[in-house]
Parts: sequence; C-alpha cells; structure tokens
Amino acid sequence: MPMSDSPPIIVRITRRFEASAERVFDAWLDPAMAGKWLFATATGRMVKAEIDPRVGGSFSFTDRRDGVDVEHIGEYLEIDRPRRLVFTFYVGKATADASRVSVDIVALAAGCELILTHEMDAKWAEFAARTEAGWTMILQGLARSLGLAT
Amino acid sequence: MVEGQTHSLDAVFHALSDPTRRQMLRSLAGGERSISELATPFRMTFAGASKHVKALETAGLVRRRVEGRLHLCRLEAAPLAAADEWLRYYTRFWSDRLDALDHALRSADAAHVKRRKR
Repeated sequence: MPMSDSPPIIVRITRRFEASAERVFDAWLDPAMAGKWLFATATGRMVKAEIDPRVGGSFSFTDRRDGVDVEHIGEYLEIDRPRRLVFTFYVGKATADASRVSVDIVALAAGCELILTHEMDAKWAEFAARTEAGWTMILQGLARSLGLAT
Repeated sequence: MVEGQTHSLDAVFHALSDPTRRQMLRSLAGGERSISELATPFRMTFAGASKHVKALETAGLVRRRVEGRLHLCRLEAAPLAAADEWLRYYTRFWSDRLDALDHALRSADAAHVKRRKR
C-alpha cells in the first residue's frame, strides 16, 4: 500500500451490479428499498427505516432480531448522485464505535461497479500521516510478526 | 461482539497508530523485555519509553511487572486479535449487505416484468 495522507482504510469491498449506477445509488436512499436490504437480516424484521436524504440529514434503521431491536443510525456527509455517498455510521448505542462509510459508484457499459470503504472514526484520520500503511496491512503485518494465525 | 469492545478497540487502534509502539510490540514478540531494552533502539529516555508502554498497557497489549528496579513488559496478543476480528466482522457485514442489495434489485426487476406481462 502506498504512503498517503488519506485516512487509514479499515474495510474496502468492490462489487459489480447489473443495474445502472442510478438505481444502485437510489437503493441506498429510498427508505422502502433500503429497508429491504441495507441493515435488514434474514431472521430479523425491519420495524423502522427512516431516511432524510440530504447532507446533514440522518438515517435510522431498526431491525428486530429475536425481540431485540438493533439500531443503525448515521448522518449523510456527501450526496453526489449517482457517483458518491458518504455517511457516518453507528451500530446500537455504542457511539464510541462511530465510523465513516463511503460508497463510490462507477458506471460501466452495462451496470456499474460499487466500491465501499468503511473507515474507523474520523478522529483516527489525525494519525494517518504517521501511519505508513493502511490498518489492514498494519494488523496483518503485526499479527504475522507476532505469530498469530490470520 | 462488536458493541462491547468499542472502548478497548479505540485504545488498540490508538496504540497501534504509532510506529515506535508497533516496533516495541515486535520486540516483545521475542519475549519479555525491560523498558530500557525497549527504549534502546529508539535512543529514547526511560520516561519516553515508559509513556509508549503506558499506551500499550491501556490497550491491554502489554502487561508490566516490576522486579526490583526493573520494569519488565510482556506481550498480550488478545486485543490484537479483537482488532483483527473487527475488520473481519465488517468485511463480512458489508459483503452480506451488498449481496442483499443485488438480490433486492433483481427482485424489483422480476416484479416489474411480471406487472408488464399482465
């Protein structure tokens, strides 16, 4: 991983879709559609899916799993249809676990490609300049050198 | 698992954000070291090294014991595994979510075709 001033990457996933960039983008912000997949689980029931789709607006999804309500909340930081969506993300009441998710969508000749990047709390960005490699590399490298199986 | 570990994970990521501390961990992988031994490669004072060890201790990555005038440090690898687990958890989480998105888009297509056929 090259040296960079960007915040350390925690998780990055790339996925291709047959649907257009616009449809894939809208699926994140349309409550009816997002309620079907975004924070839904096979065994849970989506009891609340509220979205205020503007920069500074927030979302709140409640999935009821075995009688326990699991809340997913966050705030939109960037909305640039159909290219980019950035939001903060908290699970449950553990606000210490605040993190940032960026969704970048690139239109292809047929369908589109989506790149999802999940970063730790923005406060970790201050350490980015001092961090030569992304977190994944750091952790894997350390785990290897410490003899932990990964 | 993710909800309960947030504080310790914060401390772990903080501890690991510094290259000196990462090097100290590698050194400790070889066995117990005194603070002076940990400080040597960095030409650091005892106080400076002790501060780094304190951050590692807070994260639960290092345990310190005092033997006479010696402060001996030992590696505790479990929190590192927790941080690694955090990464794996969210990799799986988003991978599952994107599968669900693909499925939802296909279902919407199928419903649309059905309506048009009617």
